[in-house]
Amino acid sequence: MVNYSGVSIIALLGYLFLLLAFLAAKKTKVVKSFIAVLVTMLLCTGGSFLMRIQFWPSVYLWHHVSLLGILLIPCVFFKFFLCFLEEKRNYGNKLFSAFFLIMFVVNLFTNVFIPLPEIVEGADGKTQFLYHYSYTVCLLLGVAVIILIQCIRLFIRCSRGDELIKRQLKPVLLGIGILTVGTVMSTFPFLRGIPTDIIGSIVFVYLLFYALYKKHLFKLTLLFSPANCYIVAVLISMAALYRFVTPTRNYLMEKVRLSEALAILAVAMLMLVIIFLLYIIMKNFINTIFVREEHVQAETLKQFSYSVSKTLDREIILSELMEVLSGVIGVTKAYVCIKDSNGQYNMEKAMSPLEDLFVLKSDHPLIEYMAKTDGCVLIEDFKCSSNYRSMWEIEKLQLDSKGIQCMVPMKDNDELIGIILLAKKNKNKQYTYDDFGMLSSVSSVCSMAVKNSSLYEKAYEEARKDELTGLYNRKCFYEKITSAFENSRDKSLALIMLNVDDFKLYNQLYGNKEGDYALKRIAEIITASVGGQGDAFRMGGKEFTILLPGFDIYSAKLLAESIAQQVRDMNSTTKMYRLKTLTMSCGICASPYLASSVDELISNADLCVYNAKRAGKNKVVMYNESIEHSESNGSGAFKSAYDEYKSTIYALTAAIDAKDHYTFGHSQNVAYYASELAKACGMSHEFIGIINEAGMLHDIGKIGITDNILNKPGKLDAQEYETMKTHVENSVGIIRHLPSLDYVIPAVISHHERYDGCGYPRGIAGEDIPLMGRMLCVVDSFDAMISRRTYKKAMSVEKALQIVEEEKGRQFDPKLADLFIEQVRNGGIQVRRNDSETEAV
Amino acid sequence: MRFQEKLRNNSKEAIWDEYCGFLNMSMDDYMKVQNRLVMEQIEIWSKSGLGQKILKGKKPSTIEEFRKMVPLTTYGDYADILLKKQDEYLPEKAVLWIQTTWEGGMHPIKLAPYTKGMLDTYKRNMMAAFILATGTGRGDFDISVTDHMLYALAPLPYATGIMPLLLKDEIDIEYLPPVKEAAAMTFKERNVRGFKLGMKKGIEYFFGLGSVTHYVSQSVTALSSGKGGSGKSLLKSVSPAMAAKYLKAKKACRAENRELLPKDLFKLKGFMCAGTDNWCYKDDLEEMWGIRPMELFAGTEPTCIGTETWARNGMYFFPDACFYEFIPEDEMYKNMEDSSYVPRTVLMNEVIPGEKYEIVISVLKGGAFVRYRVGDVYRCAGIGNKEEGTSIPRFYYIDRVPNVIDIAGFTRITENSIRHSIELSGLRIFDWFAVKEYVNNRPQLHIYVEMEKDALTSIAVSSEILKEHLGIYFKYLDNDYSDLKKILGIDPLNITIVKCGTFERYKQIYGKPIRKMNPSAHDVADFGALINEKPTGYSGRNF
Repeated sequence: MVNYSGVSIIALLGYLFLLLAFLAAKKTKVVKSFIAVLVTMLLCTGGSFLMRIQFWPSVYLWHHVSLLGILLIPCVFFKFFLCFLEEKRNYGNKLFSAFFLIMFVVNLFTNVFIPLPEIVEGADGKTQFLYHYSYTVCLLLGVAVIILIQCIRLFIRCSRGDELIKRQLKPVLLGIGILTVGTVMSTFPFLRGIPTDIIGSIVFVYLLFYALYKKHLFKLTLLFSPANCYIVAVLISMAALYRFVTPTRNYLMEKVRLSEALAILAVAMLMLVIIFLLYIIMKNFINTIFVREEHVQAETLKQFSYSVSKTLDREIILSELMEVLSGVIGVTKAYVCIKDSNGQYNMEKAMSPLEDLFVLKSDHPLIEYMAKTDGCVLIEDFKCSSNYRSMWEIEKLQLDSKGIQCMVPMKDNDELIGIILLAKKNKNKQYTYDDFGMLSSVSSVCSMAVKNSSLYEKAYEEARKDELTGLYNRKCFYEKITSAFENSRDKSLALIMLNVDDFKLYNQLYGNKEGDYALKRIAEIITASVGGQGDAFRMGGKEFTILLPGFDIYSAKLLAESIAQQVRDMNSTTKMYRLKTLTMSCGICASPYLASSVDELISNADLCVYNAKRAGKNKVVMYNESIEHSESNGSGAFKSAYDEYKSTIYALTAAIDAKDHYTFGHSQNVAYYASELAKACGMSHEFIGIINEAGMLHDIGKIGITDNILNKPGKLDAQEYETMKTHVENSVGIIRHLPSLDYVIPAVISHHERYDGCGYPRGIAGEDIPLMGRMLCVVDSFDAMISRRTYKKAMSVEKALQIVEEEKGRQFDPKLADLFIEQVRNGGIQVRRNDSETEAV
Repeated sequence: MRFQEKLRNNSKEAIWDEYCGFLNMSMDDYMKVQNRLVMEQIEIWSKSGLGQKILKGKKPSTIEEFRKMVPLTTYGDYADILLKKQDEYLPEKAVLWIQTTWEGGMHPIKLAPYTKGMLDTYKRNMMAAFILATGTGRGDFDISVTDHMLYALAPLPYATGIMPLLLKDEIDIEYLPPVKEAAAMTFKERNVRGFKLGMKKGIEYFFGLGSVTHYVSQSVTALSSGKGGSGKSLLKSVSPAMAAKYLKAKKACRAENRELLPKDLFKLKGFMCAGTDNWCYKDDLEEMWGIRPMELFAGTEPTCIGTETWARNGMYFFPDACFYEFIPEDEMYKNMEDSSYVPRTVLMNEVIPGEKYEIVISVLKGGAFVRYRVGDVYRCAGIGNKEEGTSIPRFYYIDRVPNVIDIAGFTRITENSIRHSIELSGLRIFDWFAVKEYVNNRPQLHIYVEMEKDALTSIAVSSEILKEHLGIYFKYLDNDYSDLKKILGIDPLNITIVKCGTFERYKQIYGKPIRKMNPSAHDVADFGALINEKPTGYSGRNF
């Protein structure tokens, strides 16, 4: 009895200890099944113990409790076995469970299988429990044997050629063996008094526990929960104070003269204090031995999170990461690769500053593998993957030479933003599951921080960069030139300013989209030419600058010429044959030779650009004193291109005159009306000059129209009309060969476009038609209406104005039409006639 | 970590996935591995002396350029460098040189360099084949360190000699007989020793050329039946368990009135065979061993490139051994008729089920052979297989290309080698053609000859005499041919003498001479019809 009691109590406490530990664990299927085993063992052993001590309320109740445990053991163990092998099928276990439960209920009412024990008083006065089994118990044993056979079959099937399963199942099988042997031995008469069955079941349960531990299904530190500490403290206190309770109580009653009630209370209080103290001591001890590491890790993680949340500097974040990896995990070498805008992963931080930089390309198998992975990966696992098959030998060598053993993904949602590569740990220790947990946490925190720093860097870059071209912007230019000037005090600093010639015209000709594309191409040319030698900027519009530290003025000139040449060639490809050639006017200045301050450097380069423009554009001008002098003489006053090319325009109009006298006069009239209308609109002097030239040249294409169409009396047929319409493109074709006059093309090409989009040649509408084109359209029509032609008489001015009024919003821009009518009526525009056959205004 | 350590530490699924995971690949994933690794090969091969010699100074930077710039090659393109073992010209240092027969007497041997990377890949792929040979489905295999392998493979420097060495690198299974011992033994000694050791220790795996395993199996049957030695003496040298098994099996066989077969004594876990004409032997082998052999494809130049699975229903090519291109059958014939014609190739993701292809390989991992015509023809059995859960192409090995006749995986008889034998024999043969035929499910070389008219009157001519004569010179010129008789006891030559003028008449009727090597079955039938044709003078006349 003493043996039974002692062993039973130990067994019960042992089961309870494990149960409390596992109740706190993550409840996987196998953990749940192990808890079921523990509960069953508690029922079995606890019921038996309480029956033997004849605990309240009745021996028979505890007999049945114990019996329930015994009957359920085969089923719960089988369930555990299935879960341990990760078998999805049930293999009849539900049926077995139902069978045993039904048999228990039947037995409860009939005692047919296991009758109630006979309680007899032994010769030594001890109570004994005698069981009188009948053959019916064989039915229960038979089913239990079937379950055992199922287990063995399952084991053979699963372990065929699988050494790992064999190894993992060894403790489980040993446990079954010991449980069986213990149970059988308890029936031997010579072993009576020794509870071999209970000893066997204790060993069995702890072997199952060991199997779970070896399979990494829970952490050992889980055993040291506060509840378990408390149980152990109570146990130790009870064991220690067991013999001292009565003497202490007696002592308090006799020596201190306390009443019995007070003495008992004092002893109880003393017990409580001792238990509490023991609990504190144990908890601290366990914390020191087992949990301290966890605390250190948690504290470090907290500190790391705090540190990286304070900064957006990636260098600081990664340095903090290295500290954690080295301090807590004990890594000897580590590398962090961060994804760049091209999708490549550049090594941005190594634990040692002496490490070479390396890059993992976007198609690197490791990258693909890590993108699919959520947690830490050991190199051995990666080597087992299909991705490893596509590794280049040199890539394998790279990982091997760096001694990489573990890899941690850094993810932002599903995107892999980086990888942490870790070499071996100090003293060649293996990476543990705890390390993996810590690394995953650190990586998550670091990923967030790196992502934020990337967003900040991106925003910072965007604020400094021109959106269209990707070059630095004006704001950045002033920052950089100031610092570059300061840094280049002992060296030279060259500044190139580049201005695209006639870019407004280019936009008008081909639209803003094509213009933007040209600017991007120019930016690409500049970036590629400058490379890492300096910085390129878009100052706005069509203006670019290049800052070249260490460059003298001559080297800068060569670079500028090269860029200008590439820009000139840019549109000369077959694909772009129809586009106008773009040219650049470049100005160069360099300090300290030609400028002693930043402002002077900029203003001198600017002056050079101005001079290049004035000298006919498409030039590279280097700064010298004569430039400054010429500027100070004021010789840069605006000189109309019309004046410059007057002779050319007259030559062309004379050619028209020779062919068609009417058209010559008409052109002069249109030029006059257009200029006056532009003036009335408040346009600039330059605009007025250009529209005047456009008016003169707008019908130049009629040179190419045959006389019989041009001077045909009567209406043109459809084919003739189509031929007539080609004069617009002919005009453009002629003017295109005069690069200096090509700025009139937008006006010329659109003077037959209608405001409602029904015109020709492009069919554009509304304000998509250049303003000059809309103006020419009004005045051209007006002059045509009031002129006499071979095929019609001249219309009265009033009638013509009436038609202009009617065609507002259809053929003509309404605002311009109104303004023109107003100007004619109030005399702001004088009506000019080339013939006498006119009506009075 | 060695395979046997993985057996202890890793789950079965993890091990299977590591080695056989390529079977899970989608076509895109497969091509990704192919393309990536061939880019590595292009990179290193182009820079090498060998690459520069073939590329003539060009440097491909994409796979398309590579396929355009590099011509299809044969061993002749590499012979001057490889036969002299000129390491400095190779893309990567060779750690091993493997030898095989080139073209009988004219070009005795071929040498192929193996780099470390190639051997690592070879090892991994061999293990994959080994796993698949012992499994019954995905994730399943049955390999144990305590197992024994009976093998019928030639030792180093032949390609088959690498296999046991590589397997040994991964797992300490016992070879019967041990590899070192076997190297010093004759073929017959190896068989006897292997069988005796097998009787003592058991045989779990059997690996060899299809024809050789068949021969060995027959020897085992003979030995275990007591032929060629006393049954009693056999029993003395085996374990009591095996002796009991032997006696029980004997009794059962007597009851069933049949010979004792290897399957009565040994329960094989895995059975692998390589080489040509395996289909001729597979049924017999399955009957003898109770397990159908699993075919794998390995060669001197290409390394181990393909394997069947547990389903034994066509081979899959390993994605990391070689970069595969395929010449469609019609293109192959066009090229055979006009050697200047450059045949088109297709890639693995372009093959069509049911079509036959000549394989072209570029050995990866620093191998020397690039766009190399191995001389083997495969038929695409399908793209993936539901039963196996695969989605990559599956192939059946058909045979060598038609201009090479391979008998039982031993010989490579070409037009040149036959012509050479005829010349040496001094036989006055006017014309001939050779065709590989299967008689009673066994391969044979059938040569149709037409003697010179004058010769018929001056020398004794019969099929037997010609067979004897030509056989002697085949053996003289080609050691492998000689081994056919020596090792397997096969005499594969069959001669048919056709009447004078048949070849000329064929040419007259069909406008072209019959192809010398393996003409199509249709052409052979037409030729046969001419042989059986009655003389012109008798046709259509009634007397």
